[in-house]
Amino acid sequence: MRGIRKAYPGVVAVNGVDLDLYPGEIHALVGENGAGKSTLSNIAFGEVKADAGTVKANGSVGLVHQHFELVGRLRVWQNIVLGREPRKGLRIDEAAARAMVTALAAKNGLEIDPDAFVEDLPIGVQQRVELLRELEREPTVLLLDEPTAALAPAEIDAFFATITALAKRGTAIMIVTHKLQEVIAYSHKISVMRHGELVAKLDTYSTSVDDIARAMVGGDLPPVAEREPTTLAPCLTIDDVTAGTGAARADGVTLQVQSGEIVGIAGVEGNGQTALADAIAKMIDYEGVIGLDSKPAIVPQDRHREALVMSWSIVDNAVLGRQHDPGIQKGLLLDGTRARRDAEAIKERFDVRAANLDVAVKTLSGGNQQKIVVGRALIDDPKFVLAYNPTRGIDVGAAALVQSRLMQARNAGAAILLISFELDEILTLADRILVMYRGKVVGNFTRAQVDRAAIGRLMAGSAA
Amino acid sequence: MKRALNIARGPMVLTLLLVIVLMSIVMVIAGTTPWEGFASLLSGTLGGPREIAETLAQTTALLFPALGICLAFRAGLFNIGAEGQLLLGGLTAGAIGAHFAGPGWIAIPVVLASGFVGGALWGALAGWMKSRFNANEIISTLMLNYVALYLANYLVSGPLKSPVATGSETAPLPPSVWLPALVPDTRLTVALLIAIAIAVLLQFVFTRTVFGYELRALGEAPEAARRNHVNIGRLTWLVMGLSGAIAGLGGAAIVSGELHRFNTQLSPGYGFTAIAVALVGDLNPLWICLAAFGFGILEAGGLAMQASANIPEMAIHIIEGIIILVLAARRYVTTRVEVPAV
Repeated sequence: MRGIRKAYPGVVAVNGVDLDLYPGEIHALVGENGAGKSTLSNIAFGEVKADAGTVKANGSVGLVHQHFELVGRLRVWQNIVLGREPRKGLRIDEAAARAMVTALAAKNGLEIDPDAFVEDLPIGVQQRVELLRELEREPTVLLLDEPTAALAPAEIDAFFATITALAKRGTAIMIVTHKLQEVIAYSHKISVMRHGELVAKLDTYSTSVDDIARAMVGGDLPPVAEREPTTLAPCLTIDDVTAGTGAARADGVTLQVQSGEIVGIAGVEGNGQTALADAIAKMIDYEGVIGLDSKPAIVPQDRHREALVMSWSIVDNAVLGRQHDPGIQKGLLLDGTRARRDAEAIKERFDVRAANLDVAVKTLSGGNQQKIVVGRALIDDPKFVLAYNPTRGIDVGAAALVQSRLMQARNAGAAILLISFELDEILTLADRILVMYRGKVVGNFTRAQVDRAAIGRLMAGSAA
Repeated sequence: MKRALNIARGPMVLTLLLVIVLMSIVMVIAGTTPWEGFASLLSGTLGGPREIAETLAQTTALLFPALGICLAFRAGLFNIGAEGQLLLGGLTAGAIGAHFAGPGWIAIPVVLASGFVGGALWGALAGWMKSRFNANEIISTLMLNYVALYLANYLVSGPLKSPVATGSETAPLPPSVWLPALVPDTRLTVALLIAIAIAVLLQFVFTRTVFGYELRALGEAPEAARRNHVNIGRLTWLVMGLSGAIAGLGGAAIVSGELHRFNTQLSPGYGFTAIAVALVGDLNPLWICLAAFGFGILEAGGLAMQASANIPEMAIHIIEGIIILVLAARRYVTTRVEVPAV
């Protein structure tokens, strides 16, 4: 790729990037959200047209999307041949298709049941299907966009074993990711993007996670606030709570969160965390007991849909969920002065980058939106905070700030339940770590006895 | 990554231009020049005090249901039932007004209040059905229009039929409960001022009250509202009730200001035209006042054009229908614009 440039209204997403991918090489493309990684990979794939520059490839280019593009109600083989089904007259030649898929799976060392329905498969296996679908076209260049985002640690290892084998057979591979540990462990070369430009090209063997992170941020990482000694006191008690339906339900969860501690729930997405969070937020019915004597402050997982009114200003959003609180509701009226004062306080404390308080939050970056959500949750010094993936999809600087503020709230005596799909985030923040798998709490670690490998095994469902 | 960007919200000026172009075409088809047609339209609606009064009377009749619709739509509740709510408001006002003797300063408020309550019950019924049974309010309000019409038909030809009239109507209202006219011997009454006051009040409710805040949250982001302590069930029937109440008040204003009795010819479809009025006014109560005036010109001008330029009155309704179609479409008119996937 030479001199690639792509501008969108108001932003240059990719600005003059040269990038070479070689057969047999795993190339990691890293950068913060909005750095231009996705745009660049979409240009390489041909899905987006560059304003300037050239893309040349010997052979075809395949792209595996971050969000799988599979039809859940079709079988594995149907998904793989979708769009180029072998035909027999007007009908699909099922036998030929199934044989083709079996052969393809064997050739790539990917174990798969061609007749399973995709919606019944675990995420890691679904990804194999997605990968096989691309491999069927025998691409010489394979692009993978955040391939491990939804995988458990064990699945991640298996995934990279496949990718490494593929590279050995001569495929050029580019992985777009923000998981630096994986980059160090599995890639050969690393390209770092920042603000649409390629700011560093590194050889994996001679670099470190810190070097890559510094290149991504353009300086040293802001440190997370110190953990201070606190006095523990009971706050939230969850006793044998069952909520939700199907595979993603919470099944007899028992846990306590005390004032002055952060309890982290580790687990792969879809193992009952959402049902548990919704039960605590009283958004769904549940069995069991949830004991909490104050209004929970909640950072929900989907800030666009659940936390913010995107078309509203920062001022209006600053009091959402608090509109009935004394001091905000004055009789029938909403105290607009108070809303503005709170918005100003959130902007100040969380360094929200916005031209003014009256801009619609949809015009802000994800990081700044999330700062508003977390800032609003913490503004009244709540006794209990439920934070669900509080830093998902936001830039490193904003993430560090959000994590620092959560730590400071804990230091000041708040009880915090942190649900996160990023194990690193939990290891950074939590005083105690629980692991959820298939709706149950399957592991319980104090900070002193943390064993990353054991947690990883529990997340994947095997005994520690 | 490509994503559809909504460029829907077109300015009112475009709507106005479109109306002028459409009307010109209709006028040419009807065999006159646009110049002649518009001249007769304007002189028939704005040419003198009586013409202006008639236009403003039409404006008033549209403004009440349009404001009610505005309230519901802002909460994301598609109340298509303003027509039925207006009718029921008129019915209760007529039924109670005919039997309420008393001085005007007490009788008129009572008649208007009964219209308010009649419309409120009809609107709240649909709201309750939505919050209790998750019944789609578009369907239920639309169907309740028919229920209202046939219910009213039954009552005015049966239990509430006037003993003195030959047709199907309620007993006449005593003059003490007639709304005072703004211009003598016209249909224009103080109801116009009441409607404008409601528009101002609505704007205040939207921008300054907790009720308005929650209602807008529900309309813009229902899931965020649900998760942020907005009592959606309660809000739904309350908004639908108030929405119906404002339309019902409009019905009462027609009964007590113009017909002085209730019959089911009360409304030639004000409740439906009002949907277009509310949308042209961009669901902003103050703009809706202007939009209602524009539609008032169309409604009042239809007859004038038929008389002086020989354009059939139905042409006006065709144009109104097209405006509604255009408005419905423009909310879904999208263009593919590339935006960064960040």
